[in-house]
Amino acid sequence: MAHHKEMFKDQNIEIKDDINLSINGKEIIYKYDQVKNKFYTKYLPYTQYDSLLEMARAIAQYSVEFSNVKE
Amino acid sequence: MAIRKDANTLTATERAEFVTAIRSLKAEGIYDQFVLRHANAIMSAIHRCSAFLPWHRRFLFDLERELQRVSGNTNLGIPYWNWPSGGANASMWNADLLGGNGDAGGIVRTGPFRAGQWTVINSSGLPAGPLMRTFGQNGLPTLSTQAQIDQVMAVTPYDTSPWNVNSNPSFRNQLEGWIGPNLHNRGHVWVGGSMLPMTSPNDPVFFMNHCMVDKIWHEWQIRFPNQGYLPTNGGPFGQNLTDPMNNTPSGTIGSRPIDVLDSAALGIVYDDAVITPQPQIPLIIVGANPTQADIGTPGETDVFRFEVPSFGPHTMYTTGPSDTFMTLFGPNDPIIEVTSDDDAGENFNSQIIRNLSAGTYYLRIRLYSPSTTGNYAVGVRSDGTSPSPIPELIINGASINATISAANESDPYRFNITTEDTYTIQTSGTTDTFMSIHGPNSQIPEIASNDDDGVASNALIRRRLAPGEYFVRVRHYSAFGTGAYSIQLTQG
Repeated sequence: MAHHKEMFKDQNIEIKDDINLSINGKEIIYKYDQVKNKFYTKYLPYTQYDSLLEMARAIAQYSVEFSNVKE
Repeated sequence: MAIRKDANTLTATERAEFVTAIRSLKAEGIYDQFVLRHANAIMSAIHRCSAFLPWHRRFLFDLERELQRVSGNTNLGIPYWNWPSGGANASMWNADLLGGNGDAGGIVRTGPFRAGQWTVINSSGLPAGPLMRTFGQNGLPTLSTQAQIDQVMAVTPYDTSPWNVNSNPSFRNQLEGWIGPNLHNRGHVWVGGSMLPMTSPNDPVFFMNHCMVDKIWHEWQIRFPNQGYLPTNGGPFGQNLTDPMNNTPSGTIGSRPIDVLDSAALGIVYDDAVITPQPQIPLIIVGANPTQADIGTPGETDVFRFEVPSFGPHTMYTTGPSDTFMTLFGPNDPIIEVTSDDDAGENFNSQIIRNLSAGTYYLRIRLYSPSTTGNYAVGVRSDGTSPSPIPELIINGASINATISAANESDPYRFNITTEDTYTIQTSGTTDTFMSIHGPNSQIPEIASNDDDGVASNALIRRRLAPGEYFVRVRHYSAFGTGAYSIQLTQG
């Protein structure tokens, strides 16, 4: 089982045991579609991703729950 | 009545009225309630599912009523984003309506929803920065074309099991964007920024995007009046025709899909709704050479029809290099599914062998993979005037799986008794079967019949039988009923 940790767009992404995803310490619920071989999450309802890390980076960048763009 | 117009055709007065109404709702806090209603819904209950279209139709309806209230204009409708003419240079992105693309950092700096004038919220309702847009920078650089819309407009049925992103064929799934050319999702992804997450109603273009989606559904409903909402029942809770939809409040209209199926009844008028006639379904001549066809776009579905003049065995098949998937509908109704097949033909071709009663049948053909293209040929042949050989029931053998696939159809079986004893013939499954036994050594004399002595609505006959050949006939209890069942013969 691999662990991955990185800072992306100032967000702390962590994937434990290849499956447990958290961003800034918050557990991210996601689903894996075995038919399409894609990952998806409620945070980004219009897209699906080839890898968990790719999805995590998208959440960190686009979800206003995590991104913190200033005017 | 709400008159919904192409956003790019709005007059300056109409633009100002819409913007003022949106900003008024924002000031009242009503607009943010809509953002939260969407953001805090169960995503899998309003997206990637059958209720995607009715949920958002109701969502638009409710916002529209609020816009009418604050504007005092009872005809004010949400403009729709006509994708083929709605690219980055379209007038809807001008500063008097939506404002344009974001700056290098994605922050919208123009128009009434620019930074400093409009603050988005997160799913907790807390301020979360300026509106963001990054046109065409998220993997989908172009908007949907009219040809792509036309392609989706030809897809039936409304939806199909498993009622999610893997449903195919499915008008809903193609319009939503998980298979086929990707219409709705493309709108979100093309705009990018604030249109990507579950708080996407933060960007007012959300409502224009969904208004276009709703317009396409409306036109499809008129084009295919016999293609109703699916599932009517049996789907996940919240998705069936009369289930309450997730996170949809009580209101002047109901919260079920059935409550929002009729746009006209909701007082919705599209300024240029295009009502195109149903496409002519190509006719396959039974016994003729196979008809050449191709799936030119991933997710595309082809439909053919053929005529059966009288009851008899038929083979429906494809040939060619593609991995086809075939579904048979009928008789005389393009939405009553008889059966489907993936690989019963040569290589990865589909093939259905069936006794068919007289009538018009429909073949829907797609490729097994919704992401591939390829050509094929499809044909239908009659396998003679006599029905297929009568299947034999083996004493204490395996069950035979079968289907009453058409109105008035009955399935014959035969079995041989060599030792006089008591034997049990019974059906199983969810179909209400009716069974009769005939013989010995003739299909004519009926010696017993039964409707419901088996489990649930299944038939069961236990009878002492002398040596000889016997025949069993199974039909649906209802003359118009269809369904799958299994039949088994046991000694004792």
